[in-house]
Amino acid sequence: MGSSQVWLNLTLNTLALASLLAMLTIGLTLIFGIMRIMNFAHGALYMLGAYSGIAAAQLLGNFWIGLLAAPLAAAAFGSIFEYTLLRRLYRRDGGSFLLVTFGLSLVLTEAIRLIFGPNTRDVDLPSVLSGVVWFGDEPYPAYRIFLIALGIVVLASLAFVFLRTRLGLLIRAIAQNAEMTHALGIDVQLIRSLTFAVGCAFAGLGGYLAVPLITGYIGMGGAAIIDAFVIVMIGGMGSFFGSAAGSLLVALTQTFGNYYLPDFALVATYLLMICVLLCRPGGLFGEQE
Amino acid sequence: MKYAFPLFSVLALAPLVLPGFHVTLLTEILIFALFAMSLDVQVGYARMFSFGHAAPYGVGAYVAAFALSSGNLPLPGAVLVAVIAVFILAIPIGWLCTRASGVAFAMLTLAFAQLAHAVIFKWNGLTGGSDGISGLLRNHGPWGFAGLESRQGYYWFTLAIVVGSAFLASKFVRSPMGTAIVAVRENEKRAVAIGYEPRRLRLAAFVISNTWAGLAGALHAGFLLFVSPELLHWTLSGYVIVAVVLGGAGTLIGPMIGATLMVVGGHQLSAVADSWPLFMGLLFIVVVVAAPNGLWGIKSSIANAIAVRKAGRLEVDHVAS
Repeated sequence: MGSSQVWLNLTLNTLALASLLAMLTIGLTLIFGIMRIMNFAHGALYMLGAYSGIAAAQLLGNFWIGLLAAPLAAAAFGSIFEYTLLRRLYRRDGGSFLLVTFGLSLVLTEAIRLIFGPNTRDVDLPSVLSGVVWFGDEPYPAYRIFLIALGIVVLASLAFVFLRTRLGLLIRAIAQNAEMTHALGIDVQLIRSLTFAVGCAFAGLGGYLAVPLITGYIGMGGAAIIDAFVIVMIGGMGSFFGSAAGSLLVALTQTFGNYYLPDFALVATYLLMICVLLCRPGGLFGEQE
Repeated sequence: MKYAFPLFSVLALAPLVLPGFHVTLLTEILIFALFAMSLDVQVGYARMFSFGHAAPYGVGAYVAAFALSSGNLPLPGAVLVAVIAVFILAIPIGWLCTRASGVAFAMLTLAFAQLAHAVIFKWNGLTGGSDGISGLLRNHGPWGFAGLESRQGYYWFTLAIVVGSAFLASKFVRSPMGTAIVAVRENEKRAVAIGYEPRRLRLAAFVISNTWAGLAGALHAGFLLFVSPELLHWTLSGYVIVAVVLGGAGTLIGPMIGATLMVVGGHQLSAVADSWPLFMGLLFIVVVVAAPNGLWGIKSSIANAIAVRKAGRLEVDHVAS
């Protein structure tokens, strides 16, 4: 394999990983922007999406069903949680949210382990996605191309909603000044709940999409939430574009780092975050204090 | 606290009557209680939610392990070296972390802890990587004192350190610096107006809290005679926060009770139910939502209610204030 092929491979891998990370973190950052909640349970919802997607796909023998079931399950569970618990805490400080969502992530992870057992789980790809795509003489897994395409579609449509629709305008308004938006007669609570559900849905979708790459396992949520936190802090808490850029940056560090300096890749990710936070405490795209 | 002396006496006499494995369990409880108490200095008194408290604990354990294995130091010497090392490391890291506050502070401490975990996990030559370091010995002192080698001896050693630490910590939080830290927590602007420097006080709380965690970690290394990267895993940082909040942050004794509950629950209940994290998580959520002052807070409010009833209606205002 020549060096240009290696580079092509690594670049495509970076983009595929960035797509997955972006789906996980966009929800986290939107929820933080509009509700000031750092949702520790986001990783557990990612895992819930993975496991419920696998269950649905195996039940009906169709990979594509999982793409529907995963976000629905995560959104439904997230909404119940938001409705029953988080609403009681809006008057408290950010720490309480971190604590209560951490508690939820413990409960959810353990519940999934009890229901599905400790073994890793996999899903069968349809023939369209399990083949390879040829770049000249170079084969590349079709599933990763699918991830890249889906990631671009998801990000573009979210950016459209965020920047060009009334709903997006309201979300940005609430992130800036929730009280004023409320005073203008907007149902802030409804939009918060909606955003929370959508954020959870994308976490669930990301979890299911990650299964063909990493298999579903107990603990995938924990690994994911740490990555997601790193990305959100690098990009800036609450910043949509920051999360997209952060996902790309972390995917780049991990993919190229794992190839060239395998012992240093893990360390590099955290060093990157620490450096960004020390130079720009609010993150790359966040509000600077 | 009026129960301190009787409690200490019972704990000190316990190894004389209890079977060996209970002494081991009590040692583990004491170490985790010290760890939780150390975090309370940050979470309870300074309201700094550190999500990386496993880092000083794990680093303390590793330094103690190096001192025991390569340095051949006697056990108390190894513990001392570990405490000093964590203290020195905590100053620059604390200086960087206290630039942020709130959720950003939590994330920064998490990042440093993950960094420490990654370094220890990957640096095979020094730390043994994922295998950790095993086969440590509780080395004899220079005068051939071997009292710490036995289960009971180590328990008494731990008990003395934990009780001493709890005493010191309760003095610290009532000291001028401790009350200043609480003042910053309650109202930072006013504290600044009086002339306090919040960042310096937060740094002090961070360093003291981390150093104590390092002490707990060093005791852990001497207790199990084995260290592994698991000690720096973020789930441990999460569990110790659970212990603090469950027991009641800002009370020192509450987190120690929370820690006891966690260790006992993890050991005794998991044998029956195999799903302790589920119960613990549910209990934790209920406590955070319904009883922000934790289990010790519930006890205090019941005690207050009884006192109010006894005092009668006329003195209600007096007691409540």
